[in-house]
Amino acid sequence: MKRFWILLSTEVKALVRDPISVLGGFIAPGILMVAFGLLFGGRLTFKIAVFNHDSGPWGDVLRQTIGEVMSPFGTPYYDVPDLPEDEAWDAYYAHTIDGVWVIPPDFSARLESEQNPNIEMHFSNYNDDRAKNHRIYSTEIVWRFYEKIGRPGPPLALAEEYPRPEMIHWFPLIAVGLVLLGVSLGGMFNIFLLTYKEHLARITLEYGLAPCSLAWVLLPKVLLALFMGLVTGTALLLVVYLWVGAWPGRFLWAVWLLSGLMALFWVSVGLVLGVRTRHYMAGAISGVFGGVIVFFIGGGLAPVRQNWAEVIWPARLFPNTYAVDPMRDLVLFQAWPVDWTPTFLTLTGFALVSLVGGMVLTARQLRRLG
Amino acid sequence: MPRFLLLLLNEFKLARTALPIHLVAILQPTLMYLLMSPSLVQATFDMHVIQPTTDKERALVAAMREVGSPIGLPYINPIVVSPEEAAQMESSTFRQIVAVESRDGVPTAVQRFSLIDSNQVKNLRNRLTAAALRLWNEELGDAAVTIEEHPWLPVDVPYTVYFGMAMLPMTTFLAAVFIGGILTAQDFEFRTIAEFRLAPIAPVWVLGARLTRLVLSAFLSAGVLLLAQGWRTGFWPGSFWRVGLVLLPVAITASSLGIIIGLLFRRSIPSLLTGLIAGMGSWILGGAFGLTAGFGGLYEKLSRLTPNAHAVEMLFSCYYGAQVGDPPSSILALALFSVGLLTLAFFTYRWRVLRQE
Repeated sequence: MKRFWILLSTEVKALVRDPISVLGGFIAPGILMVAFGLLFGGRLTFKIAVFNHDSGPWGDVLRQTIGEVMSPFGTPYYDVPDLPEDEAWDAYYAHTIDGVWVIPPDFSARLESEQNPNIEMHFSNYNDDRAKNHRIYSTEIVWRFYEKIGRPGPPLALAEEYPRPEMIHWFPLIAVGLVLLGVSLGGMFNIFLLTYKEHLARITLEYGLAPCSLAWVLLPKVLLALFMGLVTGTALLLVVYLWVGAWPGRFLWAVWLLSGLMALFWVSVGLVLGVRTRHYMAGAISGVFGGVIVFFIGGGLAPVRQNWAEVIWPARLFPNTYAVDPMRDLVLFQAWPVDWTPTFLTLTGFALVSLVGGMVLTARQLRRLG
Repeated sequence: MPRFLLLLLNEFKLARTALPIHLVAILQPTLMYLLMSPSLVQATFDMHVIQPTTDKERALVAAMREVGSPIGLPYINPIVVSPEEAAQMESSTFRQIVAVESRDGVPTAVQRFSLIDSNQVKNLRNRLTAAALRLWNEELGDAAVTIEEHPWLPVDVPYTVYFGMAMLPMTTFLAAVFIGGILTAQDFEFRTIAEFRLAPIAPVWVLGARLTRLVLSAFLSAGVLLLAQGWRTGFWPGSFWRVGLVLLPVAITASSLGIIIGLLFRRSIPSLLTGLIAGMGSWILGGAFGLTAGFGGLYEKLSRLTPNAHAVEMLFSCYYGAQVGDPPSSILALALFSVGLLTLAFFTYRWRVLRQE
């Protein structure tokens, strides 16, 4: 046991002397969090101009309706700034507004005489996703407009039921995925950098010559890396708490357990890379990009459970994909995940296989050097 | 000139000492694009719906199949399930399920959502409304309000085209800043810098050779991504020369920045991290996910400080045949970025290399 403590304190000293590896876990999640916060954390509406040329009353009603129908984001689908026509067209072509609706002069007359009333919708389709939004948002407006003007009811009314009383917003969901990214990179960078430095300083040669089991050498490294992964994740969780107010509360231990199991997978990867790689930089860049890719394809932007069919197979090879939704349950809703046991077992499986594989490969490499 | 060519040759030979770094810096963004592009945005959503038994329910399913872009993809793929199957399905395996029920004597399409986020709720709600509105419009006949669509472009362009296009400046930037930063820092770590100090040649030639090689590496990286994007989407830029011209100032800016970072830190790890922050930051802030003008606010203001936002707007016309932003001011901004960083790199080089023992 004394041997273990000596090695652990050596690792800690090495980390304190060169704490730059700590940054590795923060940079990518930090940048992504700020960026997604700016992109999706604000008011998610389409800004459009509406020109009401209608000589009757219904154009005004439609104009009001456009600004009042609410989306699940808790904001209207459309913000309708008051702009003069020429300025609005300039803004539309400059893409500073998303579209222009034109209500023609005979709109009310045609509506009342039931002669195919129509409106023009000008919108940008450089991106098919935004074009789709224009098309499907407009149906919400027309639906509400029919209700307001007292058209005979629809053949099928619409109703919705949600599993929770409040809406789950998008940015907090993304932020939890970024916490997992931070745990992964925080753990991996720590062990990768420290092992690589030992490798360069030929300390690994001494390890290889050690007469006792190499588990004594590797275990402190793994524990320190795990700790650093959890520290990174907890720091990012605090940022999430300050930003969106989500905190796991009494489930913090469960968050640490799940993310710790997931971190062990990445720590093992970092360990193997640390002793095998000859180029730290190539390994570090690959690590960051690898982590970011896994974040995006492994449910970083949307829940995994309900979108399992769309999860591409490479994402299924990483524990993050399995951990992200239960983590969201714990952090965003302080609720116990319904799939806790299978998730726990899956993550334990990933951690064990990766840890055993990583340690065996590393030990062989060290002995080979010795 | 022969000296310059020898220096350039030496720069390329140096690549052999850091081949993995080159491979990762040049190929990783393309790998990222190929893996991320299929999972970022999907126009067609699977929507579970209970097996229709009445004419109205059948009409709803038929209407769901019709919802879509007249110049693009369908938006709904209805998946019909029996009530028994629906009861057996765990709520965690589908996003929503639509069942037509009678509520207060009114036939109602009830959309039951699973635990999904507001963005998906919005998408699924809007799609069902679009299908139900078709039925309502049919019933209203000539009294129905028609929305005449006037899209900006003749076809809806897949999101992956924009996403890949916005990654072109990013991959150019990253390859140049990474390789430039790390190799310059390694000059100090491996003491190669002493040779440059003693060399009887003006620093402008040494820097010029390094910059040329970095720009060529950045172009190689962008070329690989451009090919991957074209292969994946079928969309190619109208003019490869124009793409190259737009990316040139980005490559010069990033190469200069990489050299400055390497000269300032003189250690490869901080150079790598700083390059990463600069590269990823300017990608995400510079219109990675959509034209910056569309997001407005602080995001748009910050985006103007990155070369990526200007380059993306300039590249837009190459891919879409339509102009966005203000090309003269973007050209000016890119020119200022390149000249400014180039000058700064020169002076930093003089300060760090020539005036130091």
